[in-house]
Amino acid sequence: MLNSYPSRLKRRMARQGWLSVIPALLVILAVRGYPLVFGFIKSFTDWTGIGSGNNVGFANYVRILTGSEFWTLLRNTLIFLAFIPIQLIIGLLVAVLLYEEVWGWRFFRVVFYIPQIISALVIGYLFSIFFGYNGPINRILTEIGLGALKSEWLGNTVSAVAIIIFCLVWINIGWQAMLGLGGLASVSPSVFEAAEIDGAGFWRRFFYVTLPMLGRTIEYSCVISVIWVFTGIFPYIFSMTKGGPGYDTTTIDYMIYLQSFGSVSKPGYASALAMILLVIVLIFTVIQMRLSNKANDWED
Amino acid sequence: MRKHTVKQKLTQSIIFLILLVMAVSFLYPIFFMGINSFKTKSEYRKGPFALPQSLDVNNYYLLIRNFKILDAFLNTFIIAICSVLVSVLLAVFASYAFAKLRFKGRTFVYLFIISTMFIPAQVTMIPLYYMMSNIHLNNTLISVIIAYVATSLPGTILLMTTSFSGISDEMIEAATIDGAGYFKIVRKVVVPMGMAVIAINIIFNFLGASNDLFTPMILIQKMEKRTVMVALASLMNARGGDPAYQLAGLTFSALPPLLVYIVFSRFIVKGITVGSIK
Repeated sequence: MLNSYPSRLKRRMARQGWLSVIPALLVILAVRGYPLVFGFIKSFTDWTGIGSGNNVGFANYVRILTGSEFWTLLRNTLIFLAFIPIQLIIGLLVAVLLYEEVWGWRFFRVVFYIPQIISALVIGYLFSIFFGYNGPINRILTEIGLGALKSEWLGNTVSAVAIIIFCLVWINIGWQAMLGLGGLASVSPSVFEAAEIDGAGFWRRFFYVTLPMLGRTIEYSCVISVIWVFTGIFPYIFSMTKGGPGYDTTTIDYMIYLQSFGSVSKPGYASALAMILLVIVLIFTVIQMRLSNKANDWED
Repeated sequence: MRKHTVKQKLTQSIIFLILLVMAVSFLYPIFFMGINSFKTKSEYRKGPFALPQSLDVNNYYLLIRNFKILDAFLNTFIIAICSVLVSVLLAVFASYAFAKLRFKGRTFVYLFIISTMFIPAQVTMIPLYYMMSNIHLNNTLISVIIAYVATSLPGTILLMTTSFSGISDEMIEAATIDGAGYFKIVRKVVVPMGMAVIAINIIFNFLGASNDLFTPMILIQKMEKRTVMVALASLMNARGGDPAYQLAGLTFSALPPLLVYIVFSRFIVKGITVGSIK
């Protein structure tokens, strides 16, 4: 039908179309495109932020990939990924409970989502106060006679990592439950009723009926969460551990910050690190797109 | 439909109890933060779990008078409002074109814009910082506004284009026949029809802009230009010895997003299930 327009109108439509998208396109080219190209070029230099730096070829990349530091950062991120299965199980269990629509379920749904609304920085600092040496957690331990267990929770590698993972689960339960509810809404209730009539217990139904029915929701949550761990947990690390003790909770994006705006200024090196981060994120984005294409095929 | 047998009532009560316990685990930290913000340093040390003896607002008074937190709120508010308005304005026109106008290169430009959504902010921040310094925009609110407009555009355009595609061509044609020009169609047809998605984007981009630390921390060093989150970071570093004061700062900074959430919670919850925004 649109092809039946006379060519004068078509030309006008094309002109309007371009004029409508050009402002947005220009902003993105200037603020996202140009810095990306600039950073890519600088990643092959020893640029210190002043002047333009000398071309050093792949030296930054070689140093990153052959040094131990990058693998420590990657290892830290991979350990943090452990929060995803925990978040999935708890979040989807909560979704199943909310799905029953007991009295007040709408209120609970709103409450569970609060950590997503408050700033990540505020939540991170709240955790750091709770687990601080004079904080409420040590206080409780002392009061119940376990004062011997009192410790600098965020100053010790094992407990710091555990607390960060706990924090990531806590803030994402509501998000996961919402996605789960969305997934459950697309499943026919008769499936769950049939399983109940067959006499399957709650846990059997959860693991053998509900989880498989939520396959797509789970795939989506996993990939989004993986990308998020690589790019989104900066404020939590910043407020809870500052990457410490040592570099034991430093992630790639936190290291980019340290190397370019921290005590040392090596933006050339940091740019190379940023490009590696971009490649990692793009790989997971492609996986995400593949999965959602597959999902669309199923729908057809 | 549902039979209310004794067993079913029992199950429902158990589920309610579990959800209630969880809700407490989500609300207690916020409650803790709130009650301790009214305490003095020594009162907090004596009993962090007790209710405050009086509603002492001294911490808040100091935050406003000495720490100038209201200036930071004003900066945050200006940044959030301006970036949201500009981003939504640009996105409405672009999305209308992507959804309803046929022109050469449309799909390519659309995919290009959407693909920038996947570039993490950390990747472009170093060059952006030097770029802003070169054009003497560092230490200005405008630099942060520009950065937010660029990062929020792709997601906003994605959701709006999807929504605007649902507007029927007949409606736009009817308006054209009635003599409506480009801007009138956008104003009278596209915006009213897409209001729900526009509102969702306004709320989420506003929350995102006011809760962000990374961008303003890099682009702004001047004290009087800092945002609430940057101010909060320096408060937390400087006043480690006075948790009650720190908790007042945290409570203060958490209040605006919480208020937005309380007012729009129903709407926001619906938006998450539709848009699955993170």
